[in-house]
Amino acid sequence: MSASRQRWLLEQIPDWEREGWLTAEGGVRLRERYALAASGPGLGQIMLGALGALLVGSGLIAIIGHNWDDFSRPVRLLFAFLPLLAAQMFSWQALRGGAAAWVRETAALLQALTAGACLALVSQIYHLGGDWPDFLRAWFLLSLPLAWVLRSEAVTLFYLMATAIWAVDQYDSGLAWQNSPVIYPLLLIGLLPRWWRQPPPGAVLRWFMALNAGLGLGAAVSFAAKLGSLSFSKFNAVLLLWSVLAACFVLLPLNARGMAESTRRKPQVVLGGLWLFGYGLAATFADVGEDLLKGADSALRLPAGWLLLVVLAVFVALAVRQRRWAVLAIASVVVLPLLVHAVFPSSSHGGLLAGLFTFHLAGVGLTLILLDFAGRPAAPRLGAAVLSALVLARMADSDLSLLAKGIVFIIVGVAFLAFNFFMSRRRREVAR
Amino acid sequence: MKTLPLVVFALAVLAQWLVPLAAIRQHEKVLVEGQLVRLKCTAPDPYDPLRGRYLAVRPEATEADVDKELKSYRGPGYAMLAIGADGLASVTRLERQRPAEGLFVRVRVRYAHEGKARFDWPFDRYYLNETLAPEADRWLADSLRSTKAVLAEVRVLDGRAVLEDLSLDGKSFREHLKQRLKTAKDP
Repeated sequence: MSASRQRWLLEQIPDWEREGWLTAEGGVRLRERYALAASGPGLGQIMLGALGALLVGSGLIAIIGHNWDDFSRPVRLLFAFLPLLAAQMFSWQALRGGAAAWVRETAALLQALTAGACLALVSQIYHLGGDWPDFLRAWFLLSLPLAWVLRSEAVTLFYLMATAIWAVDQYDSGLAWQNSPVIYPLLLIGLLPRWWRQPPPGAVLRWFMALNAGLGLGAAVSFAAKLGSLSFSKFNAVLLLWSVLAACFVLLPLNARGMAESTRRKPQVVLGGLWLFGYGLAATFADVGEDLLKGADSALRLPAGWLLLVVLAVFVALAVRQRRWAVLAIASVVVLPLLVHAVFPSSSHGGLLAGLFTFHLAGVGLTLILLDFAGRPAAPRLGAAVLSALVLARMADSDLSLLAKGIVFIIVGVAFLAFNFFMSRRRREVAR
Repeated sequence: MKTLPLVVFALAVLAQWLVPLAAIRQHEKVLVEGQLVRLKCTAPDPYDPLRGRYLAVRPEATEADVDKELKSYRGPGYAMLAIGADGLASVTRLERQRPAEGLFVRVRVRYAHEGKARFDWPFDRYYLNETLAPEADRWLADSLRSTKAVLAEVRVLDGRAVLEDLSLDGKSFREHLKQRLKTAKDP
């Protein structure tokens, strides 16, 4: 819950107690539950602290960039270590003294930046080569513990971004596995202690995590395909593997609290779902369907492909157990090419696959709408959008005249708007 | 205050010191104990946003003989060096395994095919003061047009190489720069 909402909640508690909606005991528990966060700093305060640290750190890097040729090597090395030492002492004080969140944030970011500046200066003094991914890796690994112990959002963001950039850049054959994007999942898991016995990440950080994790894991999957002697020219196989990854994103196991949260706070579902619908819509075209069948054949020859499928199977089993029907419906899109390939190993059944995708997507769209009417977690507007997009895709692919296509487009558009209006009214009535 | 965060923080601080200190120790050792090797090179003048201006150092030798069985190989390798009568080093051959003896530098093999391999040297830049960089740029352009070679002076020890200086006509490029700056001020 955001700080402003917590503040609002705490303000309401006395009124609710007075009006008898909340017992005194319930009020105490609510105050305890949200007291710490409510006494925390505002977003602005944290941002200003982080900005200050960023400016100081960037200034140090610029000063280092000047390259103080007139000084001896030991003096220049002293320049590298003194800011780091000062930042470490500041962080130590912030950690021991239980400083406010914005002070911790500033200290952590400053220490991460001075650690990076120190590494940069040492490599400048000794004219080390230009392998910036190695430098970046050393930097984000040395900064990671600061995200854990100082609970810094800025260092967490830096780590997420740096690891994803590093993983994408390391997509290069000839690299040993320990220097390749294959280790990205481990780097991502390395961030988990940040939330050990702490509140879960906020909505902004979740979106940032989902986007970066998507990039990093996508790079890891592509590299694993390459390790399995699959060249990038067989892009269809990589595309299929990315789609299995997207399905894993959508089905990522959640606890009861996570499931109850709004879709806005589940970026993995939104991003994974968007990918899968794009993939599914493309597959409703016969030539794409043919390519996908070829891709399924190549992907299933890879150990990485099977590994991803095992992960997907585990996630599916957990989702079935938790009755998460809506996300299961979305994730089911990825299974179709694999099933058709299992039954018809030849790639000449692209037309069949395209037809099945059309029916399947229509089914998924309807399911997302009907689940809402059944009172279960659903996404009726997304369902309607899928159905509309499906009709438009089929129309675009048909031999109908422009006039006929235009009329159908208008009908679909009006139906979509009417449905949207109907859902808004229904929401208001249910809320009453 | 709980102990675990303090311990983790202390370990992080230690690592933040150890990583650069280990690099310093390694490179100081090469600079003090390493053999001086001169390589003919060529170089333009780019910029690194984190570390400032530098001269991109490119030794001429970027290809060498390699075992014919090494096909489509990418990864680490060792460039065997020999010092010629003119005092310049040349690459005699590339080995995939670390040689037991001799003068060699660990390089990165980009591609090996039919007994030839292209490789990258472990050094590719010489950092400069930003006020010197423009003059260094002009000096380098003039020098490369002349018949005399710009040499990279590199210290080599146990396969590690550290770039020490750039020289022309037996003089450090810094001396050349000082002279040029003096001439420009007082023509």
